[in-house]
Parts: sequence; structure tokens; C-alpha cells
Amino acid sequence: MSSENLVKHLPNDIGGTGCSGDKVNIFERDLYPWEKRCHALLDVLDYHKIVNTEEKRRGTENIGTEMAGKLSYYEKWIVSASNLLLQKGLLTPDAIAQKTKEVAARYNVIL
Amino acid sequence: MSKNHHHDHAHDHTPIIIQEKPGYYEILEISVRELLIEKGLIGADEVRKQIELLDSRSPALGSKLVVKAWLEPEFRSRLLSNGNAAAEEMGITIYDNTEFTVLEDTEKLHYVIVCTLCSCYPRPILGLPPDWYKSKEYRSRTVREPRAVLAEFGTLIPDDVEVLVQDSTASQRYMVLPLRPSGTESFSEEELEALVTRDTMIGVSIPKINQN
Repeated sequence: MSSENLVKHLPNDIGGTGCSGDKVNIFERDLYPWEKRCHALLDVLDYHKIVNTEEKRRGTENIGTEMAGKLSYYEKWIVSASNLLLQKGLLTPDAIAQKTKEVAARYNVIL
Repeated sequence: MSKNHHHDHAHDHTPIIIQEKPGYYEILEISVRELLIEKGLIGADEVRKQIELLDSRSPALGSKLVVKAWLEPEFRSRLLSNGNAAAEEMGITIYDNTEFTVLEDTEKLHYVIVCTLCSCYPRPILGLPPDWYKSKEYRSRTVREPRAVLAEFGTLIPDDVEVLVQDSTASQRYMVLPLRPSGTESFSEEELEALVTRDTMIGVSIPKINQN
């Protein structure tokens, strides 16, 4: 692939790039409770004009190809939101580190 | 919930319950939410209220819009010219400030909706999208070979019908107004609504009589 194509198409811009052999995996499932909370949280951040939909989408694009390939849909969303909140100076890395430790301990999880 | 939390007061809420041990990303979600509440950037009840709003939205709302459009030509005109206003008329608020556009199928044209960049979808009308709508395969292939993708959903569009793929954006959301199947002249509103599934409003399926 020429480097020019990388400039023209950002990672999420995949319209038309698929192969016919990659069949659509058609199935139904309910979201996990945390996924729905994550969705709702991002909606609330949009209402407050803290993180809008387009910023969130760009945030999922800015996590790098490896992470983009390995994380699930809402895993990308919460990572994107966390990065944006850090960039905007609304949260600090220390506060997130301390809080995740505290939450993990609450559920007897070792991170 | 504690025993002294009486429910004779006027607030509705869905308790947030964690059943299994959370993984890393769930812990991150809990942490970010709690930090934002502690800092006063969002209200303590807002996420729960938004979950209730999300839960109140389902394709049944879209089905009602479609059937009303089938039965009332004047409503169909209003729905096609201004989706937001027509939805509001039916008591459906477009809570996410997006522009809602309804695309009408004809005997010679069939629409399919996709979001190639991510997962934009008319959530206030249809609820949250299915996983396949957000998948790389659906997003990357639909604009190039819509008929092949539709065939995977069991939908075969005759060659003399044009297939038009509409891509969505963060501010522009679309829904298909499918054709009313012939042979439904005597159907009640409820019977018609049952034919209008979520997938017929995304355009990967068409309304059919005798569905399972």
C-alpha cells in the first residue's frame, strides 16, 4: 500500500475496503450492563458538551492500529473517553490510577 | 437496596448492579463515571436516567412511523420532508440532536443504511444497533457490494431494482421507509407493524407476509 493511501484514509475510514470472503457475522445479543452504562455515560458527556460524538469517534481512531484491532467496541469507547478527558485536563492520570485501584479492591479484583 | 429506602417518593431509577467480577475496562468505566460525578461534571443520576431513556427506545417506534406513513399519505409527506418533526409529532424526541432523514423505497429503488466510519444509527427511533451493524465486515463491504451483503441476510433484490447505499455521519441519521407488501390491504395496524422489523428499516431485509 502506498503511503499516500494512508494519508487519504484514516483507520476508521473503511468503506469499500472489505473482501467478499469476509462474511457478515449476523447474530443478536444484549449488551453487557457495563457496555450500556458506557454508552449512557458517553451520551451524558455529549449532553454536557464535554465530549461530543465526533470527538469520541476520532478518539477511537487515535488509539493505534494494534489496540483498535484487539479492543471490543465499548472497550474502545471507554479508552477514547478517558484519553479525551485527560487531554482536556478534566481528569488526571493520577486520579484515574488511584480510582481504578480503589474500584478493583472494592470488587476483590487485582489489576 | 437498603430497607429504609422507601419508594413512595417521586423518582424513578434503575439501580446499577454489578453481578460478576468486573474486568479492566469495566473498572475503567466505573472509575471514570465516579470521578466525573465527584468533580461535579455530571450528575449522580444522569447515567441511570440515560440508561432508562435508551431502554425506552426500540424498533417498535420506527415500525409505528412506517405504518402511519403507509396509511396516511399526508403523514408520509411530512415524514419524508422532515423526519425530526414527524417523529416529534408522534411523541418521539430526537434526544441526540441529530438530523433524522427517512428514505423511501420505490418499485425501482431500494435503500440500505450503513455507517462506514463507525456506528451512527437513528438510536432515538430504533434503539441501539446490532453488533453486525458496527462490524468491520458490514461497514467495509456494504458500499462496494451491497447485493452480496444483502444476500447474506437472505434478501435478494431483483436486478431491475436499483440498490442505493446511504452512509451515515455523527449528525446525519437515516431510516428506510420500506414498501408495503401487496396482500396486506386488510391488515390491522398491529399486523402491519409486525411486518416492519428493525432490519427492514435498516434496509437489509424487506417486509414479508408469513414471517416466522
